[in-house]
Amino acid sequence: MKTFSKARIFGLIWFGATALVLTIGFYKAMTAPTEATMGNLYRVFFYHLPHTILSFVFPYLNCGASLLYLFWRNRNPTRALAADAFALASAELTVLYASIGLATGMLWGRAAWGIWWTWDARLTTYLLLWLLYVSYLLLRRFAAPGQTAVLAAVLAIFAAIDIPICFMSIRWWRTQHPAPVFGGGADSGIDPGMVSAVLWNMLAWAMWGALILGLRYAVERHRQTSEAAVGLDFVRDQAFSPALEAR
Amino acid sequence: MNIPFRTLPQRHLVYAYCVVWLLQFGYGAFVALRWLRERRP
Repeated sequence: MKTFSKARIFGLIWFGATALVLTIGFYKAMTAPTEATMGNLYRVFFYHLPHTILSFVFPYLNCGASLLYLFWRNRNPTRALAADAFALASAELTVLYASIGLATGMLWGRAAWGIWWTWDARLTTYLLLWLLYVSYLLLRRFAAPGQTAVLAAVLAIFAAIDIPICFMSIRWWRTQHPAPVFGGGADSGIDPGMVSAVLWNMLAWAMWGALILGLRYAVERHRQTSEAAVGLDFVRDQAFSPALEAR
Repeated sequence: MNIPFRTLPQRHLVYAYCVVWLLQFGYGAFVALRWLRERRP
């Protein structure tokens, strides 16, 4: 009989719960009251907001994991490799969530403002965030082996500086992007009928993100283990090769 | 809710949802396939 590990059972339950919450989130988004000025177009908000908020969360995970990598790299290499794998997984999710934040924002902006893009403070700092994490992934992909993880960790720490600037940009500068919907002063807030749709979709995409983060981390850990095994085999072959023994 | 898909805002609403599903489930499937492949002995 096929047996499942505890982690796999937990993963399956998590996947089922995520699918259920995603369905509820979609249903809530489609049945929330229609907005007075934008009509149904405003429903983009129920996917745009969770993705944008989560694209501010994953970079902090990336930054935290990078700091741990730098701390452990000479003290505990095994833990350092795990932190590096987590940093890579969270950077990929940052790019994914920020790409969706950009794409849904542009589709919404074209229909609501009549323009795809403007060099507004939020949009510009958000594009910068996306470019920083794309460059992080490119660095990891193409840098010469050896120092890649250290360089990537340093870049991750600098890239995280953009997150508070981007987050605060709609509070500090009043340009094209609307003011914050939540916590933006006396005029902020949404209809109580829309709040549950926001919260369900927030939960749904956070659960989905956690699931993909876990899977991507597992894939990277497996790659690291295979690479280490190949390296050990190579060293063993070199050490016990007949040519060496003949010397 | 009925989305007639006639006007630009209606179309962009549908496009936005499709973009999200395509990118999220596409990337999710890609990672899941890599994970499944690597579990093989």
